[in-house]
Amino acid sequence: MKTFKSTLKYLFLIIASLVSIFPFVWMIIGATNSATDITKGKLSFGGELMNNITRLFEMADIPRAFFNSLKIALITTVLLLLISSAAGYAFEIYRSKARERIYNLLLLTMMIPFAALMIPLYKMFAMNGLSNTHSAIILPTIATAYIIFFFRQTTKAFPKDLMQAARVDGLNEFQIFFYIFIPTMKSSYAAAGIIAFMTSWNNFLWPLIILQSNEQKTMTLVLSSLSSAYFPEFGSIMVAIIIATLPTILVFFLLQRYFVEGMMGSIK
Amino acid sequence: MKKLLSLLLVMCLGITLAVGCGKSSPTSSNEDNNNSTSNEDNQDNNSTSNEDKQKITIWAWDPNFNIAIMNKAKDLYTANNSNVEIDIVDIAKSDLEQKLHTNLASGLTTDLPDIVLIEDYNAQKYLQAYPGSFEPLTNKINYDDFANYKVELMTVDGEMYGVPFDSGASGMYYRKDYLEEAGYTSDDLENITWDEYIAIAQDMYNKTGRKMLSTDPNDGGLMRIMLNTTNQWYFDAEGNVNVADNEAMKEAARIYSEICNADFTKITTGWSEWVGAINTGDVATITTGVWITGSVKAEESQSGLWRVAPTPRLNVEGAVNASNLGGSSWYVLSSSKSKDAAIDFLSKTYDQNTDFYQEILIDKGAVGSYIPSQSGSAYSAQDPFFDNQVVFGSFSQWMQKIPSINYGLYTYEADAAIMKYMFDVYSGKLSIDDALKKAEEQLLIQIQE
Repeated sequence: MKTFKSTLKYLFLIIASLVSIFPFVWMIIGATNSATDITKGKLSFGGELMNNITRLFEMADIPRAFFNSLKIALITTVLLLLISSAAGYAFEIYRSKARERIYNLLLLTMMIPFAALMIPLYKMFAMNGLSNTHSAIILPTIATAYIIFFFRQTTKAFPKDLMQAARVDGLNEFQIFFYIFIPTMKSSYAAAGIIAFMTSWNNFLWPLIILQSNEQKTMTLVLSSLSSAYFPEFGSIMVAIIIATLPTILVFFLLQRYFVEGMMGSIK
Repeated sequence: MKKLLSLLLVMCLGITLAVGCGKSSPTSSNEDNNNSTSNEDNQDNNSTSNEDKQKITIWAWDPNFNIAIMNKAKDLYTANNSNVEIDIVDIAKSDLEQKLHTNLASGLTTDLPDIVLIEDYNAQKYLQAYPGSFEPLTNKINYDDFANYKVELMTVDGEMYGVPFDSGASGMYYRKDYLEEAGYTSDDLENITWDEYIAIAQDMYNKTGRKMLSTDPNDGGLMRIMLNTTNQWYFDAEGNVNVADNEAMKEAARIYSEICNADFTKITTGWSEWVGAINTGDVATITTGVWITGSVKAEESQSGLWRVAPTPRLNVEGAVNASNLGGSSWYVLSSSKSKDAAIDFLSKTYDQNTDFYQEILIDKGAVGSYIPSQSGSAYSAQDPFFDNQVVFGSFSQWMQKIPSINYGLYTYEADAAIMKYMFDVYSGKLSIDDALKKAEEQLLIQIQE
């Protein structure tokens, strides 16, 4: 009975993992086939990889878009972690009457759909000369209610005794945050870092509205423009998708050790 | 812990430096389009000073088609006009539409391009929803030289906007060998009705077991082709919704539901499976816009086996064997700072230049709607892939017969409403009359007329 149960369990897991891995396999196979073979549903490797790569680099400036995306995602992640973790920390540690009210207001902003903000936001940035700049993409995302909420929750698990001890030892509040809090909460930072990086890397609508020239475009915009065609070059698109997925996979694998810990809010 | 902190700070510093040095100042491009030429371009162009330099920004989609063709036009024009700099921005079609809406709705004109590509079905929506935003070109372009139906769809209150570009003139591509196997010659497929098409399909399926066509029941493209063989549309000439009591519409819905339920039809999902069905040889025909030619020819092993016949017509009065699916045109924005240069550019390339059209036809398979160009050599060439038929010459003739229709403001909204209820027609839950009535009600609520 026991072996039957575990066989069933493994069978289920094998099927589930096959289902989730299939798109990746399909993507890699697709990158080696021509557009016609892909539309015909060919499921084996072909010899078109180099052609697809050359065609892709002719159609779009991939290195530039990749660099743009990477730059935006890295700056956003660093700034977002610093600012939002400080905010979350402050919301939990420092007491004041208005605290909960401000906090609730902040959480309410999570409910406003981006479509409603888009036009006013665009006007604000364009009127201040920030249209077609990467700063315009980074600025609205460096303090998000979700990450502040996340850090407030994890701060609850931060041992207050540690803080008291630091105060007795003569550290000021900033030193406590930088020297005690950040190192202790490493895994939370890793988890929030993954979320921030992925959100920024996949950001689409706002860059679309605010970026105007080919030179400033991010990977997501380039990917989208490749697929809009009378006869899409599916092979080249697959190559582009592989390039676009690499950083998120890399970041996730590098930090996954911390990710689960961080989401559970545990302290080392 | 110190290490982590210093690492963070160094990263922060490095990245801030990178932002500072990496990009040119954004403010200059907003304040003055004429001065925002990049350094590299200045070096190339010693003859003209920065001040006379006109910059034209163009938004378009499809790097292999529209963008590639626009690049060709750009090279042609800038060879004689070195004081004009043309920047073509590649944005996916749906993204471009969203961006254009946002920009126009915000009321700020700083980031709008000078020229924009708009799909024909959506032309009236932009022209009527944002009056004054697009430049009328009535006396600046020779509209008599363009296919009539293209001019009609860009006319508002007698003023014409835009420069007609590629045509979506449709035809019925068919596998000569498959149909011959079932006993049909090319003549049997010329100028037929959709009912005759269904009869041939059924007969071929019974005799050979081959399927006639592939279609996606979710997609209204084929139904729009049927409808456009008449002079009726989802909207009447005044732009009022005309779905429930539209005889041509009912007829198109009847034919389409018959096709979707027939055993000679291969049901597909999405674009790639639909195109895939012709490349694999699963189906004998595909009836759609001329832009599919490249995809049909992509399967080289089928060379010589294909031919093209005129689009089947609906069995209603006034219907012709010519129709259209898709196609788009260029529009000049009124807010453009280089308006005159933009108009001059379009008129010297897309109007008045027949050689240009020969080139884009040969290189990209683009059938323009500029009629004088179609007596050129590229249009009269025989194509061995299509059994030495003069394919583009035929399309050019059909193009001139396409009924002129006012597509109205909400073609895609109407399409979505109708296709939603078509499923109940396929399954027999609703009669065609009831389905169209429901679709019309939904559409009216949606567009709040």
